[in-house]
Amino acid sequence: MILEIAGLTKNFGGLTAVSGMNITVNDGEVLGLIGPNGAGKSTLFNLITGVIQPTKGTVVFKGKDITGKRPHVIAELGIGRTFQLNPLFPNFTVLQNVVSSFQIRPRSNLFDTFFNTPVYRKNEAYILEQSLEILKLVGLYKVRNELAKNQPHGYQKMLGVARALAIKPELLLLDEPIAGMNPDEINNTIEAIRRTSQLGVTIILVEHNMKILEICNRVVVINFGQKIVEGTPREIKENPEVIKAYLGSGHDTQH
Amino acid sequence: MPEATILLIIASIVNALVLSSMYILLALGFTFLFNIMGILNFAHGAIYMIGAYICFFLATAVGINQWLAMLIAVAAVGLFGIFMERFAFRPFFGNINQIIVVCIGIITVLENGVSVSQGFIVQVTPPFVQGIFRVGIISISWERVVIFLIGISLLILVLLFINKTKQGLQMRAVAQDLEGAVLQGINVHFVSALACVIACALAALAGSLMGSYLSLTPYMGQDIMIKVLEILVLGGIGSINGVLFAGLIVGTLDAVLPIMVSGTATQALMMLIIIVILLFKPQGLFGKEVRG
Amino acid sequence: MGSMIAAPNSNTHRKNLIPAIGYGAVICLLACLPLIFKSPYILHLFILTLIYIIAAASMRFIMTSGQIPLAHAAFLGLGAYVSAVLSKHMGLSPWLALIIAALVSMCVGIAISFPFARLKAFYYAMISLFFGVGLLQGIESLGKLTGGLAGITSIPTLFNTGSKVPYYYVFLALTIISLAILYRFEACRIGWNLKAIDQSYLVSSSVGISEVKYRVLAVAIGCFFVGLAGGMYANYNVTISPSSFDTTSTLWMIIYVAIGGTNDFAGPIIGTAVLFLIPQYFSGLKQYTPFVSAAILFTVVFAFRDGLVSIPRLIRTRYQRKKVKVQTDDS
Repeated sequence: MILEIAGLTKNFGGLTAVSGMNITVNDGEVLGLIGPNGAGKSTLFNLITGVIQPTKGTVVFKGKDITGKRPHVIAELGIGRTFQLNPLFPNFTVLQNVVSSFQIRPRSNLFDTFFNTPVYRKNEAYILEQSLEILKLVGLYKVRNELAKNQPHGYQKMLGVARALAIKPELLLLDEPIAGMNPDEINNTIEAIRRTSQLGVTIILVEHNMKILEICNRVVVINFGQKIVEGTPREIKENPEVIKAYLGSGHDTQH
Repeated sequence: MPEATILLIIASIVNALVLSSMYILLALGFTFLFNIMGILNFAHGAIYMIGAYICFFLATAVGINQWLAMLIAVAAVGLFGIFMERFAFRPFFGNINQIIVVCIGIITVLENGVSVSQGFIVQVTPPFVQGIFRVGIISISWERVVIFLIGISLLILVLLFINKTKQGLQMRAVAQDLEGAVLQGINVHFVSALACVIACALAALAGSLMGSYLSLTPYMGQDIMIKVLEILVLGGIGSINGVLFAGLIVGTLDAVLPIMVSGTATQALMMLIIIVILLFKPQGLFGKEVRG
Repeated sequence: MGSMIAAPNSNTHRKNLIPAIGYGAVICLLACLPLIFKSPYILHLFILTLIYIIAAASMRFIMTSGQIPLAHAAFLGLGAYVSAVLSKHMGLSPWLALIIAALVSMCVGIAISFPFARLKAFYYAMISLFFGVGLLQGIESLGKLTGGLAGITSIPTLFNTGSKVPYYYVFLALTIISLAILYRFEACRIGWNLKAIDQSYLVSSSVGISEVKYRVLAVAIGCFFVGLAGGMYANYNVTISPSSFDTTSTLWMIIYVAIGGTNDFAGPIIGTAVLFLIPQYFSGLKQYTPFVSAAILFTVVFAFRDGLVSIPRLIRTRYQRKKVKVQTDDS
């Protein structure tokens, strides 16, 4: 059990975004968090990664309590993430985006960095090599020297994933990875996610596009900040409450 | 309570109200520019200053009645606002660094223009209203009362304009969601220009009145600019309510602190108070999320 | 600024040689200046330019992290006053006072930046503005120690000769060293992290960059060098007064950086040289220098969006476009 969320609650003034959430995530699985817009999925990610503080509840990662820790500490512990609106480093090139994301393993200290010692140079060379590998993995190698802000939407999303992979996370949180993509891009992304999972990374996906179910081992359905139902993709697809939640919100999806 | 203390308290309250009303007018205009155009108009203080000097010049050197001088100053500076929006702000929309540079350029030209032609000596515009208003032991100069009343009336007018008129609603629409407003067919350039005109006119008005209430120096704009920013930060960026309350607080502190502490230390103390407040409540009174 | 990306190979050595020769030539030229210009007034201007270059470059360094230090001139003043007080009233050697001034400036900068480093960068700008004003007021009101509005006079100088030449050479060396250090910070991973935070604090923190640590680091380094520049000023100029360090001065430093080019390391150097020296040179009356500066300012901001440093690139692009046009015309 790599991640355990217990009783996680977040109130924004009068609005309860997440309420009493209990989820366990098993090592190496791909867990889907499905739910309509506004269900509290991104808030959940923000709570796990320390971007916002929970009102109640705990988050335990690999046996260690990480509730409310700062985002960069969470990253150091091995949790990576992408963002829904996909911010990047827009003025850096695609390659620079990934290279800049290699902050944790390896990490050069201040002395080595400033004085450009062989240790630093070796680390940077390694980082460069790994960055190019990641770009090949996600299919962005040929645009590596283009500015990130000039890339089409689909490429930018993939860049977000590439960036998250740079910190060699054990747990990867993907926030709406296929939103706004065309069918080709969706297939590429799903393939990339599959390959990443095969490398042993545990993945939690947030999506409201049901197509993502095909790569999930398990699915948790969320609405109004609460867990509604949990099971395998097939069970979820046939569950009447889930169907009601989706038909009700009118958000269907490209199957 | 001894009579002297009562008089001191009354005088402080009056002073606080006058200063607050003027500060609020200034800060309101500044906040409009920020909300609608996303611009921190550092030159706002210089606009205030030039309004004050135009009024002063017309009232003394040219000899016009002060009220007329003030109206001319307000009109002239308001028109300058159109010019500023078109040539200083619109070309650099979204680029903070460039806007800062342009504002500094405007400040330099205005401040040095005034200091070269008028010198650094402190001047005072002749009072707008003569006479003293007495009730019992209390005596307040009519000018203070009038300035405060003008301030309050204009404040109400501006708030009504924002909330009730079509143009005002358009301004609020642009402030909330630029793209949406454009899609709705709102002429953003017109709205921005209007905001600029209002902001500059209010600044010039406040300047003209303060030129008589306090005094004029070429650098009065800088001092007032700091106050406007204090109000902005204390009240919460972009919040109109924040401007009202923070304006009152800053005006009151400005009226009261000099009584308790000596001259230069007043400013330093103000800064300290503000920094301490921000340590505990960085978003100000009415502000939103500030993490980043 | 691609030192992080360029993989070393034999071409890199040749590519590094040409700029190195260029810089060497410029440094030699600068070293010869006192031989060409003997007038003490002109040397004085050059010395002041060097001091302001350090100040502007250190300001820009802080700006790469997205924070705008609106108290930078106040920190220049802090360095100046600390160095002056230490060397005049406490009898320390001016050289030692200089270093301590830089360190004090750095520590104060850290103290101001740290409590607000988690907030949007805008807040640092406001806080530092207020702090700068307050600091200056504080200096003015501590009459006994700081001489109040009149300032401090008879500050012990770094050299005992009357000539300005040793100051020029030492300050030139200090400027080159300071710029080299600032350049190195910016070119290595630290500098990239600052620019990353500027672009997106969400993404930066999600990959392990602590925005507090790097924002405070940027301010610490920037304040160290501007404090050093302040000390240099005090122990050269013999007198200092608060009016040199007010908010207007900070605004002008921003101009030097912005006109030169905010996005380029050479920006503040060129901006300071142009905007500080040229108006002094071309105006008869002292009062009109700000107008000359403002004129240069408006010209550059309307004509050269990326600052003066972008001029060579613009010329080159236009020249290349002409070449292509000629070639397509021929065929």
